[in-house]
Amino acid sequence: MSLYLVTVLTNICLFSFIALSAYLILIVGEVSFGQQAFFGIGAYSLAIFYVYFDLSIIYSIFLGMVICFCLGLLLSLLTIKLSGLYFAMATLAFAEVFRLSMNLVRFPIEKDGRATGLNGPEGFENIRWIFENNIDTLGFFYITLIILTILLFCFFILERSFIMKNARIVGKDLILAQSLGINPRPYRLFFIGTAGGISGLGGALFALASTYIEPAMFGMMLGVHSLAYTIIGGLGLPIGPLLGVFIDIGLLESIRFLSEYRMIIFGGLVAIILIFYPEGIISPRIASRIKRFFFSKGFK
Amino acid sequence: MSILKVDNLCKNFGGVRAVDGLNFEINQGEIFGLIGPNGSGKSTTINVICGLYQPSEGSIFLEGKKINGLKPNQCVDVGISRTFQNIRLFGDLTVWQNLWVAWRDDKNNQSSWFSNWFGRSETQEKLISELLNFSGLESRANDLASNLSFGEQRRLELARAVASKPKLIFLDEPAAGMNKEEVKELRERIFRLRDLGITIFLVEHVMDLVMNVSNRITVLNFGKAIAEGDPESVQKDKSVQEAYFGQ
Repeated sequence: MSLYLVTVLTNICLFSFIALSAYLILIVGEVSFGQQAFFGIGAYSLAIFYVYFDLSIIYSIFLGMVICFCLGLLLSLLTIKLSGLYFAMATLAFAEVFRLSMNLVRFPIEKDGRATGLNGPEGFENIRWIFENNIDTLGFFYITLIILTILLFCFFILERSFIMKNARIVGKDLILAQSLGINPRPYRLFFIGTAGGISGLGGALFALASTYIEPAMFGMMLGVHSLAYTIIGGLGLPIGPLLGVFIDIGLLESIRFLSEYRMIIFGGLVAIILIFYPEGIISPRIASRIKRFFFSKGFK
Repeated sequence: MSILKVDNLCKNFGGVRAVDGLNFEINQGEIFGLIGPNGSGKSTTINVICGLYQPSEGSIFLEGKKINGLKPNQCVDVGISRTFQNIRLFGDLTVWQNLWVAWRDDKNNQSSWFSNWFGRSETQEKLISELLNFSGLESRANDLASNLSFGEQRRLELARAVASKPKLIFLDEPAAGMNKEEVKELRERIFRLRDLGITIFLVEHVMDLVMNVSNRITVLNFGKAIAEGDPESVQKDKSVQEAYFGQ
């Protein structure tokens, strides 16, 4: 495989994490414009733990995930009375607070003769784990692919469980869900928290892959794309958002030769996809057909 | 023995008093009718008892226990279920799935962690097929709920309300928009539920149905109970006739 192709595939894997996190939140019926912040927090936590505290890479990633999970819980606790547009605004505000405060924090250090550490808008340079361990591009692609596969397996188990069933019901009709005896709060908390954790995991891997992060990477557009992945791919199955990432990034890369017209063409193509597949490519209806094909009658 | 007791129930919406000092008591195994002209506070009463709204004043007792301020999902836990005036179904789920999501496990069930995780068991399959039989929707089990006719959707809603194994069911205008034949079938179903030992609270405009099935009726007007008693005495009541037909 050419280096370029591997890089694109790695990017697809990395952004799949944020797509899956947006998917989880859309399932409980909310729209979050703040998943890019968790992506960023994951990336920054990894960088801080790895560079400042010399923690091992596994611990750094894990701590980043835990921090994102806790912040997700906190965010959903703070917004427990909000829904719809107001929830979206609150998450966007949260994301912007994170991004702008990262612009202000400066604490540069020198390590092994290289400048690194938090440095405001100039970003965090020299997260050199992949060089220190001699991992080439292809190797890193395999690492992300394996982690993504494990995550997808967890999703698969979750998808068949009562948790997902009840969460989807909460997302479809809150009042009806309550009248059927489902308490929506734990589902909301768990899903928004977990979404934060998954996004953080993606962010941590992203920081390793790019070796350099800056606040501008985690701006509004990343959040919008994370929603677009899920909307293109559909809410029926976790494969949906992955398909969305594949189409989104694949399309953007394949029309790179159009240079500045690229985004215009891309927007048009997304609009066309959504005209033909208004609920995304793997819509809940198609998903239930797939499930019926593969599984027993419980998922009729 | 009384299953539900409502004591001086009031509900205000801003300055409007939708329910004003309502008192009644429902006995175990009874069919209790609540009627009244449009806007008299019938649906509000249901919504307050089922926990969708908090009562402004007064208290509600289920089997002697106070259930004020419970959330709708907690009300299901104590054995209350309901149907909605405007049909509320999951249109993109099948009939079978609509019953499946409403099914609740027995508290003392012995099934394994594994089957709990996947949310299915044999008792569940059996109950759902019984419910399909009860509602006469067996042949449509795999159809999407949104593709059902209006009457079938009402039947599905009723079956779903039974799926959580309640002691007390609130039916909010179950016969609205039904033809004579369907009302007759509905009556049979309500009797079957009563025979299963479920207490029924019926809010209805179709007098034919209420007068024929209810043991006792309370008539509401502007949030106040204006008459109470068995169907005949309510029909003869002067204030009820005034509320419906004017003076």
